[in-house]
Amino acid sequence: MSYGDDHIAFAAEYALGTLDAGERAQVETMMAVNKDYAAEVQAWEFRLAALNQMVGSVEPRPIVWENIRAAIDRARPRATLAPPPPVEAEVAQPAPAAQQVPAAQQAPIIADATGAHLASKARRWRSLAAILGAVAAALAAMVALEVLLPDALPDDLRPKVRIRTVEVKVPAAPPAPSSQYAALLQGRDGTAAFILTVDGATRSYTLRKIDADAEPGKSFELWLMSDKLPRASSLGVIGEANFTTRAVLASYDRDIITAATYAVTVEEAGGSRDGSPHSPPVFTGKLIETVPAGAAGQKQK
Amino acid sequence: MLTPAELVWVIAAVAMGDEGAFERLYVATRAKLYGVVLRILRRQDLAEQVIQDTYVKVWHSAGQFNPAVSSPITWLTSIARNRAIDVLRKAGEPSVDERPSAEAVTDSADPLARREMTEELKRLLECVGRLDADRQKLVLLAYYNGWSREQLAQNFSSPVSTVKTRLRSSLMDMRECLGL
Repeated sequence: MSYGDDHIAFAAEYALGTLDAGERAQVETMMAVNKDYAAEVQAWEFRLAALNQMVGSVEPRPIVWENIRAAIDRARPRATLAPPPPVEAEVAQPAPAAQQVPAAQQAPIIADATGAHLASKARRWRSLAAILGAVAAALAAMVALEVLLPDALPDDLRPKVRIRTVEVKVPAAPPAPSSQYAALLQGRDGTAAFILTVDGATRSYTLRKIDADAEPGKSFELWLMSDKLPRASSLGVIGEANFTTRAVLASYDRDIITAATYAVTVEEAGGSRDGSPHSPPVFTGKLIETVPAGAAGQKQK
Repeated sequence: MLTPAELVWVIAAVAMGDEGAFERLYVATRAKLYGVVLRILRRQDLAEQVIQDTYVKVWHSAGQFNPAVSSPITWLTSIARNRAIDVLRKAGEPSVDERPSAEAVTDSADPLARREMTEELKRLLECVGRLDADRQKLVLLAYYNGWSREQLAQNFSSPVSTVKTRLRSSLMDMRECLGL
C-alpha cells in the first residue's frame, strides 16, 4: 500500500500533534496495518523529538512511582510463576531436568486458559509480556539444549529438523555468534500470541504458541519482514502443536534476522500458495537478544 | 544520568522483566517526560496520570523498542507525548487565553545558549528557522504546547483552514530540509 502526499502530511501532523482525535485514531490504525507507514510516522517523531531537549525537567511526586508499581503488580497472574530451573546448569543430567522446564512453563499458561472473560484474558496476556523474561530465557536455553543435546528433550519438543551443533564451522561467512534471541509476537491491543526464539548460530527458530488458534480452514503463517528484502518472506506455516521449530532462517544474514519484524498472518489452510501474505499481520514482534554471544559460548565447555 | 547506550541496555533488560532495570529507567527519565507532558496538559493530575500510563506501557512494550530506528529518550517521550495529546484531544480544549505567549516556549531565559545543543537539535532549528516567523511560531506552539488547529487558529486570528494549509506547507518544507 503506497501513500500519497495526504498520508505524508497526516504522518507529519500526527508527530507534530495537530490532528484531532478521529484523525489520530485513523493514523494509529494505518500504522498498525502498514509497517512502512508506521516507519514514516516514527521518522517524523524522531526528527521533531529534538525539540524536547529544550523543555525543562520537572520531578513528579513519589506517589506516581507507587501508582506505576501498583498497576504493574495488578497485571500479574495470581499464581506466581516459579522460575524454571536454569537448563544450562543441568546439561550434565539432561533427561529429568529437561522434562521439568517445559512443565513449569506450561502449567501457569494452561491453567489460565479456562478464563472466559475477555478482560481477564487481556490482563493475562499483558502479564505474559511482563514474564517474558523468565520464559524467553528458559526457551532460549532450551534452544541451546536443542543444539547441544537434541536427544535430551522429550519427544514432542524434539526439533523436527535435525539441528547441527554450534561447533560446526561456517565457511566463508564471518563466524556467527552463538547468541540467543527472543520476540513476543503480539496483536495490536497487546494480546500475546506467540513467543519466537532464534538461535544465532544455527539460525533455527522455535515458535511457542501461547494462546492463538487459527479458524477452521485457515492456517497461521510466519513471515519475516525486512526493509533489506523486497518482500515479506514466508518462514512456514505454523503447526497446531504448541511448538514449531524450523531451520529455514539459515539462508538469511544475521543482520537481516536480528533487525527484521516477524509477523503472523491468517492464510488459507496449508499456507499462502503464492508466497505472499494475504492478510494484514495479526501478531507482530521484533527480536531482542536474550543471551549475548560471549555468554552463550561458555555453555559449550 | 544514563547515556543513550546505557538506556538501550536498560530497556532491553526491562523487556526481559527486570524490575530493577525498570526502576533505573524511571529514575533516569521521569523528570524529562513529566516536564514534556506537564507543558502540554498544564494540569498536575492529568500529567501524573499520563506519566503513569506511559511507564506501564513501557513496562509491557519494552521488547518493541528498536534501537536501530529510534533513541531511548525519543521512544519514551513519543509514548508520553502521544498519550498526553490523546488526553488533550478527548478532554476538549481550554481557552487559549489561559496559555502563555509564544515567547515563553521554553522554561529558561536563553535555552539556546545555556545548553550544549546536539547536532540533531541544531539541524532541526535550522530547518525551522528557514520558515517565515509566523510559521515558525505555528510549528513550535503546536509541538511544545500540543495545541490543536482550532487553538492555533484562535491564537493567530486565522481561519482553521488557513492554519491547516500553513501547517502542512511548513511540514513539507521541513521534510526536505530534514531529509525525510
